[in-house]
Amino acid sequence: MKINQTIKWYAIPGTMITAGCIATACSLLAGAPARAETSVFGQSDTIFRMGRSLDNKDLYPVYEYLRFSVVSADKDGSATSLNVGGWARGDLADKTARDRYTDADVQYGFISYQGAKNNLLVNAGRQFVTEGVAAQRLDGLYVRSDFAAGFGAAAYVGSPVVTEPTLKADDFIFGGRVTHSLYKYYTLGVSALKSFDDNSAVYREEEGFDLWVHPLKQVNITGRSAYNSVTNGWMEHAYAVSYAPLDSLRIGADYSYTSYKDYFYRVTTSALTLSTPGLNGNIDEQEKVKTFGGSVDYTPIKNLTLAADFKNYNYDVASAANYFGGKATYSLPDSFAAGFSIHRMDGNTDKLNFLEYRVFASKKISHLDLALDFIDVSYDSRINGVRNVYTVVGAASYEFNQKLKVGADVDYSKNPDFDNEVKGLVKLTYAFDTKRAAEGGSK
Amino acid sequence: MVASLLYACANTNSIARVHPEAVKGLPNCTECHSDSWGALNHKATDFYARHKFYASSKAACASCHQESFCADCHAHKEEIKPSDKYKDAVERNLPHRGDYLSQHKIDGKINPASCVKCHGRQNNEGCIRCHR
Repeated sequence: MKINQTIKWYAIPGTMITAGCIATACSLLAGAPARAETSVFGQSDTIFRMGRSLDNKDLYPVYEYLRFSVVSADKDGSATSLNVGGWARGDLADKTARDRYTDADVQYGFISYQGAKNNLLVNAGRQFVTEGVAAQRLDGLYVRSDFAAGFGAAAYVGSPVVTEPTLKADDFIFGGRVTHSLYKYYTLGVSALKSFDDNSAVYREEEGFDLWVHPLKQVNITGRSAYNSVTNGWMEHAYAVSYAPLDSLRIGADYSYTSYKDYFYRVTTSALTLSTPGLNGNIDEQEKVKTFGGSVDYTPIKNLTLAADFKNYNYDVASAANYFGGKATYSLPDSFAAGFSIHRMDGNTDKLNFLEYRVFASKKISHLDLALDFIDVSYDSRINGVRNVYTVVGAASYEFNQKLKVGADVDYSKNPDFDNEVKGLVKLTYAFDTKRAAEGGSK
Repeated sequence: MVASLLYACANTNSIARVHPEAVKGLPNCTECHSDSWGALNHKATDFYARHKFYASSKAACASCHQESFCADCHAHKEEIKPSDKYKDAVERNLPHRGDYLSQHKIDGKINPASCVKCHGRQNNEGCIRCHR
């Protein structure tokens, strides 16, 4: 199917769209009503990493992660904001990635208007849209609102933000989701998206149904089905239910189905391309997998959680596998956490027979945070020459005040690629803001 | 005009833009919420697997999380895996802990669909080092 060529406005580079949005946002914020309260949140994370690559290159990259938000909140509860985040890297030794000594990326940059009523939200710029079948970063426009009689609707249009190491992706996408909610009981949604490549040919066309049902306080059901109209097949079904008969006990179960032919039809890396008669990919197009899982969480005393979980993988082509285990966690918010987990993978190949352990702990002593993490995978037989793979991590950080924190960590690994691998990281975090806590700045 | 009328008739209150109480660590939302928001209990074993369902109510996530929180994992281009960036956050469900270079070969066979949301069409330039 061909569409009218005049829609090729999306050929405008994403960075220009983002820059335009930022300029517009600055104008909007500058013109915000005088009764609005403006707050600024910003954080800089400067990260220095030390390590060695598989091909014996010395890697000493320095990263700067910068994010900030300017929020102009009106007294009626509405708000206009500008949100920008990105990173830059410079290498002090060999090239870290993409064969470049320096690199940078804008992760997001959008202006946003949130209405006081009807959950009205208008975003313009680079953003991450999650509406039913869409989990898509795009340079474009997103609008959602509640409507009468429990209905709600969202729509988005723009240029997908993609990387294309092996295969080309789409250039233009639009879609939406319509929901009906009865606040105390359910939200049901239907969604669709359609995208086109630079030849205006259809690249993706997906429709879906999703639900979040909570008929009783103790019962919660979530799920989604997605249909691929290009391949004419169901991509996935994923549903989960939980039941909490007591405050201290929660039981969960889940089911999923994935058809590889329909799910992997549009990817840009050869690591995830289908193996078809004309294409030698890693993913068997004949494969379909069904998973059945379950979990039990029990909190015998406050702050202590004991959990057990199980998942069965059932394939049309490959042999089945089971993954099961348990975890114990003791946690005092912002003060102490410790946990232990053990899981077993049981499959029909050597790689799918292993035991996985993890022990971790963290402790806050005045301004000092300490953390220790040990992860071990023990295979039943040697994989790539080794039977046991482990990583030990030690981390420490010191908080000078609410705005300035310095941290460092070292990890030591023994794995199939390295007999002894040591990596280090130093991180300087600086928060510059006027109302940090009030804007969710702690996360 | 119909849309305007429907909008005017809705008259629902928007989800709080900022969570009224500061939340520290992994919250168990059921401690305060006896309604549907209790389902967002971050300590539940399956919350990490289920967060994709709740993400369609993004305004609820945004009450506590900034946009950068999503971007740490669902990134366009990212060179530091989340579990390396936040090694001190041992309690969090961060993907790819430990020696993931070895483990990804196993996870990629068991459930390759789990790779697609983050690496199918973005944040996959590193794959080409081996997958040519």
